[in-house]
Amino acid sequence: MSKPEASLIRELDVRPLLRAGEEPFQAIMDAVGALAPGQSLRLIAPFRPVPLFSVMANRGFSASDRALDGGDWEVLFSPVAGMQTEAGLATGSSPSALSWGDPIEELDLVDLEPPEPMVRILEALEDLKPGDVLFALLSREPVFLFPELAKRQHEWAGNFDASGAAYRLLVRHGGGRAHG
Amino acid sequence: MPMASLSRWTMSYFAAALAFLLAAEALAVAGIGYPAAGLSEPATLILVHLVAIGWLSLAMAGALLQFVPVLVSRPLAFPKLALPALFMLAIGLVLLCTGFATLAGWIDAPLDLMPLGAVFLLCGFSLLGFMLVATLLSTRPVALFARFVLTGLACLAITALSGTAFSTILSGRSGWLGPVALLPGGLPFHALLGLGGWLGLIAFGVSYRLFVMFMIAPEPPARRVRPVLLVSGLGLALAFAGLVAPFASFEPGARWIAAVLVVLAAAGLFYGRDILALYRARRRKALEINMLASIPAFIALGFGLALLPAAILAHAGDGPVAALVFLIAFGWLGGLTLAQLVKIVSFVTWLETYAPRLGRGPAPRVGDLVAMPRTGRWFLLSYGGVLLGAATLAIEAAAGFRLAMVLCLIGTAGLMVELVQIRRLSEIKAADRPPAHERPQLLATRAEERRPVHVEARSLAHPRA
Repeated sequence: MSKPEASLIRELDVRPLLRAGEEPFQAIMDAVGALAPGQSLRLIAPFRPVPLFSVMANRGFSASDRALDGGDWEVLFSPVAGMQTEAGLATGSSPSALSWGDPIEELDLVDLEPPEPMVRILEALEDLKPGDVLFALLSREPVFLFPELAKRQHEWAGNFDASGAAYRLLVRHGGGRAHG
Repeated sequence: MPMASLSRWTMSYFAAALAFLLAAEALAVAGIGYPAAGLSEPATLILVHLVAIGWLSLAMAGALLQFVPVLVSRPLAFPKLALPALFMLAIGLVLLCTGFATLAGWIDAPLDLMPLGAVFLLCGFSLLGFMLVATLLSTRPVALFARFVLTGLACLAITALSGTAFSTILSGRSGWLGPVALLPGGLPFHALLGLGGWLGLIAFGVSYRLFVMFMIAPEPPARRVRPVLLVSGLGLALAFAGLVAPFASFEPGARWIAAVLVVLAAAGLFYGRDILALYRARRRKALEINMLASIPAFIALGFGLALLPAAILAHAGDGPVAALVFLIAFGWLGGLTLAQLVKIVSFVTWLETYAPRLGRGPAPRVGDLVAMPRTGRWFLLSYGGVLLGAATLAIEAAAGFRLAMVLCLIGTAGLMVELVQIRRLSEIKAADRPPAHERPQLLATRAEERRPVHVEARSLAHPRA
């Protein structure tokens, strides 16, 4: 992959957040969410954020890091070229979905109005075990579901079918539960 | 990543909007503004701007902050600007109205409050526009519905700029304009761009997407929706031409206004056909209150748009024209906004309260948060007031109009109470409500404050632990 141009990099410095005693995870995920397709994220942190590498790898980003002066670290998360587009998956989909097992539960949620599809999917996940895969057919991209899946550590991959009328969603149980 | 979260300050926008609506209706009940005063007199200007900016624009802004990110599947850009924008808009409107009150001779204050208020409004709308445009352009290609919103925002910019120019004229500081006379000829075009472009066109565009979702109807094909945007765009371009015509020493008259309205009515016809098709093709047979209460709004739009050009061409006088504009502003835009507020507030409140708990046990449905049929009765009262209001305006019966506004005022107050009850989860059995400290706050959603329960997040914050 060629080196990304400067305009294709978004920068996030989480040092002020951490100094203020706040959790930087949501800010990082928001920044990742706001990336345009092909855009990279440069993260600056007061330590080497190793746990984030696997989270980002699941979202299709490779990491290259270097130490800065004063013990700070800079990590460049770059989208792995072609990984998602080749598989035809929506941005944010876990690229590992290609190797997930067959779904053990299938839900047809096309005729339900929001937020019912989200209710059914989260309820169904509650009965599954970590590693289990669920398939759901929806009439639209479930934008409010994705943050909830992320908070419960579930991975997902999805895309519209060729006609654009149905959204196909795979969710792999990541071990998390309802947290309210 | 396609992701949308709850807009933190949308509820505050709605609360401010409803407060301004109540204020406007109370003033109308007190007999201030048309028909007791002339259409372009300061008292009427106060009323008109309380409704157009305070009520309709703030409600539209709050709804857009929530739904534009949902509809483009991207997070809202620069969400921290939402609250400053609301403050600037509210302060700007109060200053503007104080300026109008000075102009009316009710109070003794500098007339410069008018342009000062206009500048605040301009800043507030700029912040809002900046957030929305940045969000809309974060996905490519730009969707058709996004083009409705972008065109509407362009109309908002022209409306706000022309309003600022008018305010300098009214405050006696029009030297910069030279011999160009923008008033009173520019007023109808300013109103057309504001009501038709910013509020109307965006209501068109957003309703296509939301109604498909709310009624589970098939998405109308782009080839049917595109003409609505193109024809509206043509009408609004004509309105813009009418606004700036004085710079070319041309005075557009009633025919120009009627031409704009005829073109907008044609767009409305295409739009109405699509909305009717959406209602007919819906897979969710039982209509919820928001879709039921929108039906009178569409009827009001149909009547208003069909008759207004004729009334202007026939020089029918102030009464019928005011009645038809009132029908469009209160019946269509106001009615549609109130109806969808019930849905948006209940949906957001439900999501905020129950999304994190889903899967842990039975959760109420969104509709369970709304008190029915009580909410429906407030809508009946409200629309009854609108119908009576339009009739009494048409025959210039000032006392009858005040009575009509009493009905609207009671309807609005009733719906406001219902919306507060929705936020407080009053319709949910006590056992199914979350503990008090986790319930939604009245004016702000807490979704963004919620700490993610993420192993990685914890270890990220304390790497050596």
